[in-house]
Amino acid sequence: MNAKMIPIKVLGAFAALIWILLPAAVSGQELTSEQIMNRVNKLVSPETVKARIRMVIVTSSGKRRTFLYDSFSKDRGEKNLIRYIEPSRVKGEAILMLNNAEDIWIYFPRTKRVRKLATHTKRQKWEGSDFSYEDMGTGETFLKDFNSKKLGSEKKEGYDCYKIELNRKRGSDVGYSRLILWVIKENFFPVVINYYDRNDPGTLEKVLVQSNIKEIDGIPTGMKMVMYNKQDNTETSMEILDVKYNVKLDDGLFTERGLRK
Amino acid sequence: MRTKILQSLARLHADHPWKMLGIGLFVTIILGVFASQLKQTVRWSDLLPAKDRRTIEYNKVIDDFVSATSIVVVVQGEEERIKAFAEEVVPLIEAAADPKEGELYIKRIDYKLETGFLKDHGLMLTKADDLKNMKDVFENPNLVPLLENINKGLEKEYVGRGESISTREKEDNAVRFLDGLENLVKTMRGSVAEAPITKAKAQEAVDRLLFGGPYMLSYDKKALILNLIPNFNMTEMEKVVSSTEAIQKVIDSTLKGYPDVQAGLTGMIPLAHDEEIYALKSMGHTTIIAFVAIFILLVFSFRMWVAPLLALLNLLMGIIWAMGLTTLLVGELNLMTSGMAAILIGLGIDFSIHIISIFAEGRSLGKPIEIAMEETFLKSGMGILIGGLTTCAVFFTMLISSSRGMKEMGLVTGSGLLAVLIVTFLSLPSLLCLRERRLERRRQKKGLQKVMKDISFKSFGAVTSFLSRRYIATIISSIVVTVLLVVSALQISFDQNMMNMEAKGLTSIALQDTVLNKFDLSMDYALILADRVGESRSLAQKAKNLSSVAMVDDISLYLPSEEQQRRRTPYLNEIRKAILASNLNNDFGPNDLNELVKELKRLQMNIMELQDMAFLGGQDKVESKCSELVGKPDEPEPKSTISELIHLLEGNRKIATVGLKRFQKEFAPYFKESVLRMSSAQMISLRDLPTSILDRYANQARSQFLVAVFPAGNIWQDKGYLERFVSDLEKVSRKATGMAPVMKALFDVVAKDGKKAVMLSIAVIFMLLWLDFRKLGYALLAMIPLTAGAFWMVGVMKLVGMQLTVMNIMGLPMIIGIGIDDGVHIIHRWRIEGRGMVKKIFASTGKAILLTSITTMLAFGSLIFSVWRGFASLGGAMFIGVGTCFLSTVIILSGIIGLLERKRGNSK
Repeated sequence: MNAKMIPIKVLGAFAALIWILLPAAVSGQELTSEQIMNRVNKLVSPETVKARIRMVIVTSSGKRRTFLYDSFSKDRGEKNLIRYIEPSRVKGEAILMLNNAEDIWIYFPRTKRVRKLATHTKRQKWEGSDFSYEDMGTGETFLKDFNSKKLGSEKKEGYDCYKIELNRKRGSDVGYSRLILWVIKENFFPVVINYYDRNDPGTLEKVLVQSNIKEIDGIPTGMKMVMYNKQDNTETSMEILDVKYNVKLDDGLFTERGLRK
Repeated sequence: MRTKILQSLARLHADHPWKMLGIGLFVTIILGVFASQLKQTVRWSDLLPAKDRRTIEYNKVIDDFVSATSIVVVVQGEEERIKAFAEEVVPLIEAAADPKEGELYIKRIDYKLETGFLKDHGLMLTKADDLKNMKDVFENPNLVPLLENINKGLEKEYVGRGESISTREKEDNAVRFLDGLENLVKTMRGSVAEAPITKAKAQEAVDRLLFGGPYMLSYDKKALILNLIPNFNMTEMEKVVSSTEAIQKVIDSTLKGYPDVQAGLTGMIPLAHDEEIYALKSMGHTTIIAFVAIFILLVFSFRMWVAPLLALLNLLMGIIWAMGLTTLLVGELNLMTSGMAAILIGLGIDFSIHIISIFAEGRSLGKPIEIAMEETFLKSGMGILIGGLTTCAVFFTMLISSSRGMKEMGLVTGSGLLAVLIVTFLSLPSLLCLRERRLERRRQKKGLQKVMKDISFKSFGAVTSFLSRRYIATIISSIVVTVLLVVSALQISFDQNMMNMEAKGLTSIALQDTVLNKFDLSMDYALILADRVGESRSLAQKAKNLSSVAMVDDISLYLPSEEQQRRRTPYLNEIRKAILASNLNNDFGPNDLNELVKELKRLQMNIMELQDMAFLGGQDKVESKCSELVGKPDEPEPKSTISELIHLLEGNRKIATVGLKRFQKEFAPYFKESVLRMSSAQMISLRDLPTSILDRYANQARSQFLVAVFPAGNIWQDKGYLERFVSDLEKVSRKATGMAPVMKALFDVVAKDGKKAVMLSIAVIFMLLWLDFRKLGYALLAMIPLTAGAFWMVGVMKLVGMQLTVMNIMGLPMIIGIGIDDGVHIIHRWRIEGRGMVKKIFASTGKAILLTSITTMLAFGSLIFSVWRGFASLGGAMFIGVGTCFLSTVIILSGIIGLLERKRGNSK
């Protein structure tokens, strides 16, 4: 039997079958690492974010210290402002990070003065925590500073995840040589991120684990973050008490005047 | 053959007791001479294999660097009082001399900064980044411009670092600088509010601003350290002991004039002294406890006191033999073998108990001395011999260990036990024969008849007979208990905290914690030997980059590389040029006062901002130092040194102008002169370093250099941290040594050796039993209660909340050697007595193994009272182990014998 002899009804049924199966085949097609990272980037860099966060650090003499602060972020994380609320002795102190934490200013209400921190500070620990200034606000760094590679799929923290490796692009001065992300397949949320030493891609420096993932304003959000410093054997936990996405934030907030408010 | 030998030996004792005793005493005297020369070492490194690279390096450091084994005096109290105490006690300690040789104990005392060298080269030793950031501070010596420059420096955007620096170093540098500022502010206040400023006070203000305080004070300034560099090294144990005692005496007598001050000794030498003295004391008192407890037990069980006394006399002879042999074999006792006496008492007394038990039973039934002795040898001789030899063999299996500690433990205890076994066969039967003859003579003289009585434990025999009859229930219950205890045993953890092994209540150990808390400095730092200054510098640089490292101390602190010096030179020239161009302002008018107040207010704000940043950043030391200068912000009325000065100046303008003018007149010229001197661009070479610095970092030949690496965490309480620190050190150099690498190596070696020794012990025991019983079945039968008993031991340890430790893990191979004896004795007797005699076997031999088990438990139990918590953990584990092995033997063997007799009965 040749094609000509195939009855038209059969052909019609075959076409209908293709029509039905095609979307499934396309959606089942494996995403590339770039596609996954684009989705991740969209997720972790919303246009604007406003959040209230509780952070616990361990001081140099081993005491635990808890801070409560408001965090404002605009232009997909390129501009960030953090304003302390508690404890009372730091109330009103604020940190402004612009140009992906290239420029950092800090405001002291006690002296009513603003100080600029040096550029190299961005890779240093952020206020005694295991996060660096860079970790706190670096916009679209996943896309800008790294090349991605898909390592496969893995179950992590109970989720089916894509395992993605990011390697620093030549010429980038980002503080990590390599990252490995476990991205939840269902919502593209990076549930675990491994950070590798700036100079040695073989040395694991920090691990970020996000948990208690809730959908807020349609965006999956890890309400609890713990950064484990594998070199210092310390950890810092952050808890998001309240978060709103894509709210209207005035540009004036991200200026020296906004810092002083 | 065996029977003939045993019969002849019994006859020799019965016929020639004095001759046998004479031989024993003769050997005792000879070995006693050697025993008196036995020494003791208390170094943990002596437990590692002698060829271990960490041991070799450690011994090299100890031999070549007297500074690595210092005596540390920790003085605590109020700042002024502890400084005064230090000044008074230092010359007295320096004068302390060895009464025998007249040689001074102490070569040098480091308790103040090496200011002479710093005054000549201070700025060349400052990192280029710091010079770049702070150079303005050194450019003008007059008060107002100086404060203005300090403020400028504090407000400047900090420029990145080219030379690595640890967070701890950063914090320390900041605290030192703030301390100098605080002193400057206080001195200015003094020059206005108190008597006119003296030249010395003004100069002190300059020195503290430029170099920091001279004393080695803690962060809270309530503790001070004197580092005493000895004229001898750690291997000279006599000097270790005499110097520590002499210095302690000097301190105690000086303290009488300072009732508000506390002072004590720590560091390697006092630790070695305390460990030596307490180890001997501890060994002495645990031995006495064991002797007394065993004597009381034997008196109660045998209902007589002479035979137990003879048994202890026999044991004492055995221990003298053992100590003499130890001197000949290894020369000294180490930390593991120093508890040997207690182990030998516990195990050695068992031989005597079996002999006395059977002999006394025979005699109480009216048998003549010769017959009773022959029966004793026939009934218990082989059991004692095989039991003793298996235990010795188990100790000897430790000879395959790679660690010196376990190897010596095996050799010393194995040969010691063999000596006690020989003494028991050589002397005790003769002593017993002599005693019985004396008693007989006395009875004959008085015309008395010997009272016949059965002194066996009949009720004990009845219980085991009951278990044997109900063998099914007995065996099933044993299996259930074993399964439960195996589950418990598998959950036991290993205590990695070495501090739990140390002696408790020792000042030298307690003061190590004081140093850690007050100075944030661990005294258990690692050491690396470098062959050149360049190597030392590069090792220090590598170590500084490790996150597990708090601080590195090496010669490069005083000898930067040529390249580093070249990089610093332009800044030095700049500073020099500026300070040379500056004019000394002899005037200080009202305008200057206004400017000064303005700068002080600015300084206050700068410090407040620094304080807030330190609070956010969790840098407690910096935050606390800032609080002293500007007060605590959460206090309603913060006490601020700077505010107080500002108020004083604003409220007393006239007096302030006069006071500050005088202060500036003394301060400025000395500041200028000091900066000129310390900004010398002359390159520093090894030859320029003063002896005090060279002695600290280099050996006598100046061919090797010591790098001290201080851990950032507690190496004893955090196993993960210890492993990370040691693995980090390995990355820096494979030559790294010190307590952390040594202890980590010891953990690994002991765990490996322990496993090997257990496996070999089981094999050796099995072979010996097979040879003895000549039947595989009997050998296997003897092994069953032992295996169960060993699991019961670990299971019970877990149930009572104990952990395995580096010391009590040795108990596992030991229990295999000790626990087997009970089964061996019961099976031997069972084979001699035959079927249906379970009650008699356990009433007689069971009594002996009950007594031997209790005596062994008492001997090991005495170690629980040792000040050495390591020995206490071994004692506790063995106390449990001997008890569980006894119970498993009695219960399981009763059941199995019942089963076997039933089977044989049926088959017949």
